[in-house]
Amino acid sequence: MSRLPARTRSALGAAAATSVVAVLAATAVAGCTGGDIGANTPGSSGQSFVSHSYESTFYQVGDRAMAPAVTGSTISGQKLSLASYRGDTIVLNFWGSWCAPCRAEAPALGQLARTMASKDVRFMGVDIRDQADSAAAFMQTFNVRYPSLNDPGDEIALEFHSTVPPAAIPTTLIIDRSGRIAARIFGASSYSELHALISKVIGQPA
Amino acid sequence: MTAAEEDSTTRPAGVAAGQGRIARLGVGGWLRWSWRQLTSMRTALILLFLLALASVPGSVLPQEGIDPAAVTQYYQSHPALAPVLNRLSLFSVFAAPWFAAIYILLFASLAGCVLPRTIKLVGSARQRPPRAPRNLARLPATASYTTGLTPGSALESAAALLGRRRFRLHAGEGWVSAEKGYLREVGNLLFHLALLALLFSVGLGGIFGYKANRLLIVGQGFANTPTALDVFRPGRLVGPGDLQPFSINLQNFRAQYVTSGPEADQPLTYNAGLSYQAQPGARARHYTLRVNHPLVVDGVSVYLIGHGYAPVVRVTDGTGTVRWDGPVPFIPVDQSTMTSEGVIKVPDAKPSQLGFAGVFLPSAVDVGGTLQSAFPSALNPRLSLIGFSGNLGMNSGQAQSVYQLDTQGLRQLPIAARPLAAGQSLRLPNGLGTVTYLGYQQWISMAITYDPGQLPALVAGFAALAGLILSFLVRRRRVFVRAVAAADGRTEVTVGGLARSDAAGGFESEFAELAQLLRAEQHGTFGTEPQTSGEPENGAREADTAAAGPDRHEVALTGPDGE
Repeated sequence: MSRLPARTRSALGAAAATSVVAVLAATAVAGCTGGDIGANTPGSSGQSFVSHSYESTFYQVGDRAMAPAVTGSTISGQKLSLASYRGDTIVLNFWGSWCAPCRAEAPALGQLARTMASKDVRFMGVDIRDQADSAAAFMQTFNVRYPSLNDPGDEIALEFHSTVPPAAIPTTLIIDRSGRIAARIFGASSYSELHALISKVIGQPA
Repeated sequence: MTAAEEDSTTRPAGVAAGQGRIARLGVGGWLRWSWRQLTSMRTALILLFLLALASVPGSVLPQEGIDPAAVTQYYQSHPALAPVLNRLSLFSVFAAPWFAAIYILLFASLAGCVLPRTIKLVGSARQRPPRAPRNLARLPATASYTTGLTPGSALESAAALLGRRRFRLHAGEGWVSAEKGYLREVGNLLFHLALLALLFSVGLGGIFGYKANRLLIVGQGFANTPTALDVFRPGRLVGPGDLQPFSINLQNFRAQYVTSGPEADQPLTYNAGLSYQAQPGARARHYTLRVNHPLVVDGVSVYLIGHGYAPVVRVTDGTGTVRWDGPVPFIPVDQSTMTSEGVIKVPDAKPSQLGFAGVFLPSAVDVGGTLQSAFPSALNPRLSLIGFSGNLGMNSGQAQSVYQLDTQGLRQLPIAARPLAAGQSLRLPNGLGTVTYLGYQQWISMAITYDPGQLPALVAGFAALAGLILSFLVRRRRVFVRAVAAADGRTEVTVGGLARSDAAGGFESEFAELAQLLRAEQHGTFGTEPQTSGEPENGAREADTAAAGPDRHEVALTGPDGE
């Protein structure tokens, strides 16, 4: 496997030459997804959760897992907790400024956050594997006004471990008024698809 | 199965029943024939050979699972051939349907061979010793003596003695038969079952295990959750919530290199200081990760597989706002000097998106006017950058490598390629901003593997070996005793023995010892000395001495006596 024999001193070096490049290149493709992975690396699609293309799931009222009580600090340094939004429908988006599909869906998310605010739908982001300056720049570029929790160590993503864990970036979760996860989207979502799904969760005809 | 077999062999198809029956028996017979073919040793060997052959492209062609970058490269250099190879799953050989077909058939073949054998072995291990043959003198090893005991009590004491020596007994009128060495069958059974367990364990790993990779910069952390992994290859039944919820922080990394001699620049040691939590809220522990010393958390092994440099860069755009400030992992392109290459993308720079392609030299020296790295340690780190502006192609949603610039929509900026020392800046033309090289950080890459079949496979492997050794070392051997009343009022006792397998020798001496013990216990006198015939294929053995009891008897070994 990729373990290296200790006795050959150059082993790590040699393996690093090949495997590191592999790892890194794969980071690139796998880390950010939702797009057409096949275009970059043929044959990889479907082998990894991270390389999921678009997939949405709706959970019936009885089958919904309770969302964890996530708290943390936002990119701009303020304290924020998911529980403070209880009573409203929450759209929780896991994103990164480096992730191309996240950039593609950002305008739709920003727009929906503004139009659906009147229906007590609140948006919140979780910024993954990002750097504060570039995250802030992203929010400025796409006019994203809702707050995002900074999650450099994946602690927030991990808190969803036993519920509906995000399996790709971007992942969007819709949490109903009682704090249960009602829907999940892997991959870049479009305005109409997300609008339909949110409407379904808040109990209006799509 | 046996009933069905008889059915087909004893009754010609179609005679007993009408037309429909012919077809049914035909199908049945055909199935039986294919099953027999499949479970034959020859087929198993052919499949094993095919499995080995099928793995060859896996090491010749780049594999998606091991090196996706190489696959992409292969696509570029062989644009016509690559799609064909991809259709044949040759870039993911071990996940290919035809590869699965071979190993599933092999598994079926082995299971079909081993299971019936196992059932047979269970029967054989539970068998009672057979009746004693009428004429014990014809057995390979014989001895006889007379005793004052009655035939009944002579047999009784013989049975008791053999019983004490852990022989399995079977007694009848005027005879006792005893058998020992059932452990041989147990060993054989163990071997077969362990073989099945081994196959099963390997499958277990593929279904419930997973493999992942992650690159981590010193000072940063990650959790074992799919979004945090660079590469994630789950087994068939592994869901995103099935990952063990540990988290790791990389606190420091130290690489040491040989500084002189013929092995200069070669790495000596790598030490990565980690703190980790087995689950959220658990106590943080420390571990020094080294090559071949994986961190094991919750059954998951984390291996150190690589390292590199991440120059720390700050990019300020044309509006004067910092758009990037942090380390960017660069990929080493030359292990002996750790010359590394990387890319910095600033998609939110205003007025225009910025991109940089860089080369990092950890120990820069001037060689004839150009800078080169002379040593893998960061003794004199320099970063040289080429700047681009325009469209990075990221906003379309098309996933792209963070280690490559898509230069299609980019324009190279006319800036002097002056290598930067820590703290130095490069001003971009046209008021696009500045880029500052602040220093460097190191990163490690880790392989995370979870294979629940690993331990069972190890145990099964050892059990198979133990079973094999047992079945080679232990022999099944039988000892028969007959006692008849002789004319002089004494009782004539005949002892016969045979070893059922021609495994390791030594039965002759064991038999002689037993015969001596029996005679001694029954105060008998030998009519004929204990004799055993040597194995015909080995030729007559040299005289062997058996020490038994207070008085020693020479046991003569005669040649083959016509058995």
